[in-house]
Amino acid sequence: MSYKCSRCKRDVQLDEYGGVRCPYCGHRVLLKERSRDVKEVGVR
Amino acid sequence: MSEEYDVEFVERGDREARFLVRGITPGFANGIRRAMVADVPTMAIDTVRFIENSSVMFDEQLALRLGLVPLTTPPEGEFVEDDTVTLSIDVEGPATAYSGDLVSSDSLVEPADENVPIIELKDGQRLEAEADARLERGKDHAKHQGGVAVGYRHLQRVEVVDDLPEFQEPESQIVRGVVEENGELVPTSEFDHDLSTRHPGKEIRLEDVPNAFVFHVETDGSFSVEELVTRAVDSIEARATELEDAVQL
Repeated sequence: MSYKCSRCKRDVQLDEYGGVRCPYCGHRVLLKERSRDVKEVGVR
Repeated sequence: MSEEYDVEFVERGDREARFLVRGITPGFANGIRRAMVADVPTMAIDTVRFIENSSVMFDEQLALRLGLVPLTTPPEGEFVEDDTVTLSIDVEGPATAYSGDLVSSDSLVEPADENVPIIELKDGQRLEAEADARLERGKDHAKHQGGVAVGYRHLQRVEVVDDLPEFQEPESQIVRGVVEENGELVPTSEFDHDLSTRHPGKEIRLEDVPNAFVFHVETDGSFSVEELVTRAVDSIEARATELEDAVQL
């Protein structure tokens, strides 16, 4: 799962054991990146 | 249809018109109104594929907004129901994405208005999407309603009966739409909708003209009023013929 650190803006990969923390600056607020897939939405 | 109806236009614009129809029953007048609202197929966006949306709104909200953008509907026979046309939009902030930014793959199907705002994009935000427009009827979804403000009233006949009694206070008499006076059609906006200003100091009799209805029709820009009314009446005729064929032994 790809996240972005809200402080240093770097891409962060989360793993099972590392916990929610930026490995570069230690900040604990990470933002989830939008997937690159094309999303189809019905208009109803 | 074997019977002929007398139709007279009072106001005639491309998107808005007022016309009088004589010789129809109240049921048939309502049938025409309902057909204009629900039975004339129009184009509207039905599915949206989002490639990028970094705006502040969810994909679903933007899709609903795109669905409500009125699109021009091709002439009869060019498309059949459920045919689709693809439109695309690609706007990068800082800018506002308007309906005019939608690029159609078919010149017959384009946004009817170019200035419908979709979303305001800030610096670094981008909207890129592809949408499929489909031909469907108003009864399937309100976004397919070609007639947005369709209504009718009985035509009212105005008759000056007598002078008001000398000491009677004149009361305002409000009427809306179009009235018939000495055989002439007069829009009530000409006298501020108040008969007491048109005939001061007179006693007035107002009565419904039987089987005469004044329609007020406004379209969303999918097509002209004339086209909407013609297609609505055609749809009634088609259904009546279908019923006739079905019940014959």
